[in-house]
Amino acid sequence: MKISKSIRISRNQLLSNKIRTILSLIGIIIGVSAVIIMVAIGNGAQKEVLNKIESMGTNLIVVNAGQVQKTSGRQQIRGTVTTLTIEDADILASECPAVSKSTPVQTKKLLVKWGNLSSNTTITGTTSDYQTIRNFYIERGTFFSEEENKASVRYAVLGQTVVKNLFGKNDPIGETLRIGRVPFKVIGIMESKGTDLNGVDQDDQIFIPVQTALRRVFNLTYINTINLQVLSSNEMDFAIKQVSEVLRERHRLDRLNKSDDFTIQNQVELLETQKETTDTFTALIVSVASISLIVGGIGILAIMLIAIKERIKEIGLRMAVGASRKDILLQFIIEASILSVGGGVIGIFIGVFIAIMASIATEWTLSISIPSIIYSFLFSLAIGLFFGVYPARKASMLDPIESLRSE
Amino acid sequence: MNNIIVKAERLTKVYNKGVGGDVFALRDVSLEIHKGELIAIMGASGSGKSTLMNILGCLDKPTEGSLFFEEKEVSKLGDKELASVRNKKIGFVFQSFNLLARTSALENVELPLIYSDKVNVTKLAKDALNLVGLADRVHHHPGELSGGQQQRVAIARALVNDPDIIFADEPTGNLDTKSSYEIITLFQKLNKEGRTIVLVTHELDIAEHAKRIIKVSDGRIVSDELNNSPRNAETELNKLVKEVKNEN
Ligand SMILES: Nc1ncnc2c1ncn2[C@@H]1O[C@H](COP(=O)(O)OP(=O)(O)OP(=O)(O)O)[C@@H](O)[C@H]1O
Ligand SMILES: [Mg+2]
Repeated sequence: MKISKSIRISRNQLLSNKIRTILSLIGIIIGVSAVIIMVAIGNGAQKEVLNKIESMGTNLIVVNAGQVQKTSGRQQIRGTVTTLTIEDADILASECPAVSKSTPVQTKKLLVKWGNLSSNTTITGTTSDYQTIRNFYIERGTFFSEEENKASVRYAVLGQTVVKNLFGKNDPIGETLRIGRVPFKVIGIMESKGTDLNGVDQDDQIFIPVQTALRRVFNLTYINTINLQVLSSNEMDFAIKQVSEVLRERHRLDRLNKSDDFTIQNQVELLETQKETTDTFTALIVSVASISLIVGGIGILAIMLIAIKERIKEIGLRMAVGASRKDILLQFIIEASILSVGGGVIGIFIGVFIAIMASIATEWTLSISIPSIIYSFLFSLAIGLFFGVYPARKASMLDPIESLRSE
Repeated sequence: MNNIIVKAERLTKVYNKGVGGDVFALRDVSLEIHKGELIAIMGASGSGKSTLMNILGCLDKPTEGSLFFEEKEVSKLGDKELASVRNKKIGFVFQSFNLLARTSALENVELPLIYSDKVNVTKLAKDALNLVGLADRVHHHPGELSGGQQQRVAIARALVNDPDIIFADEPTGNLDTKSSYEIITLFQKLNKEGRTIVLVTHELDIAEHAKRIIKVSDGRIVSDELNNSPRNAETELNKLVKEVKNEN
């Protein structure tokens, strides 16, 4: 018998018992759409993280004072280390051939006032190279120059959140605000940058010249961070080695036989650790979703077994009028395949639809992955066949007269 | 003679029914069916007629003994060969019709054709329904047909693939006299065209239309005789129609 005939028989069977067909489809539909939605969520999260890491600047190396401790994914510096200085930043730029630019950074949260409004905001003392290195540029007005930094002028550049919180609809440029008790003149506004990897709003930040910051605001002689830009991505490791050597020399660590009083991190590393965590996350949800696919397969198995019991007379009759065991086997396997393929296709549509709706309705980034669609479809087909073969074999082994006699 | 279609050698069929012990539905039955025969099998209820028909029709296996269909031993046929014999060589009319409830008369009759390599399935099925006088009931479901009409759908299904031999298990069991004669007329016509026919009946006046009458009792063949002057169902049918006309 031709396959096309078997397909027609199976299709008619499924159509003639719609409720049962729909019930057996549901499991697979839920399984497939769950896989697609879950992977889209995982992928979206991963993409978001990668975007953030990339938006931190290209070929970025971050030198932090002290040893960075990792606690539950977040990074924290333990204790206060006072050895990292603005001079270190300058020397690294001039002495490390692989480093093209460097900028010192010292931050602290302080109360900022304008008129009778106030806000607790991160004050970032840095230099104008910060813009290129961190890929975070001025949008309106000007950023303070290197000369203005050296002269410790009291200029401030505001992040967008600060503008919103303190100034509302007023134009802040030219206005004077107080950081702590020190008055600063607003000369520019940064572009919007969004949250960083740790979810901290990077727009809730005021940039001031690092010299001004240390002398007039923080009263410090040291800094906590140096951001470096490496010439090219394949010189990353080389640059890290140079930076480490220069800093150990300058901090006289070798002579005193001490371990590093700084930590060097690069973007590639960050990318990899982040990718690892999101990958395990994705693997976890995919395995959970796969279980629902298997449950869907068991649904097909159950429904097929019931169908065979119900249709035992029909099977006997088909055999009596000339269906071979192979014909019967094929018919039921095709039925299982139609169920799993149908469930798979419907599941794909529902999954994609929900993923799109969810990304519209929520803040989440959902990224639908084509491989997840293909794999979940193939998986549902395999499950349908796997769970369809047993009932199909059972049906094909029936004895025609016994089947016809059974009630 | 090489015109034997079915040859049964010492068939025994035993059903194991725990409490009451074994049931011998057939005991040591040997039988030859030749091409062109019209055979009636008679016997009391429970004597083993259906069991014999099922085995002769290659649907059931004997517990002991062997069955040859066109000289091939049926128990040695492969899945495909056996299916092909059932499909192309044999037409079987079941005592309880065995029609598919959810499908139309036409689709029921088409069923054997689906498993053959015939192409004009619908036309052949319609022709067969026409032959049994059901041209106007093609799209009715079995539930919408009378017992006699269902019987005729079952006969159409047995005829549709143009088999060499037709086994009919009580084809007139549910019919009134007129319908019975119509069916027997059809069988006699098919037999004249060269088809071999074996039918089971309780009624002697039906059996007398056959060219050979086999009597079964308690699983054994107790008599097997040729009927040299079989009755003609068509003339009886005409007589019957006339009688009805006269009455009116
Ligand atoms: N599947 C079965 N299991 C057990 N016993 C059976 C089975 N089928 C038939 N029998 C027994 O075998 C014997 C013969 O049955 P069979 O159906 O062949 O009789 P029959 O001559 O066709 O009767 P009827 O005229 O009533 O149709 C009966 O005693 C019956 O009870
Ligand atoms: Mg019977």
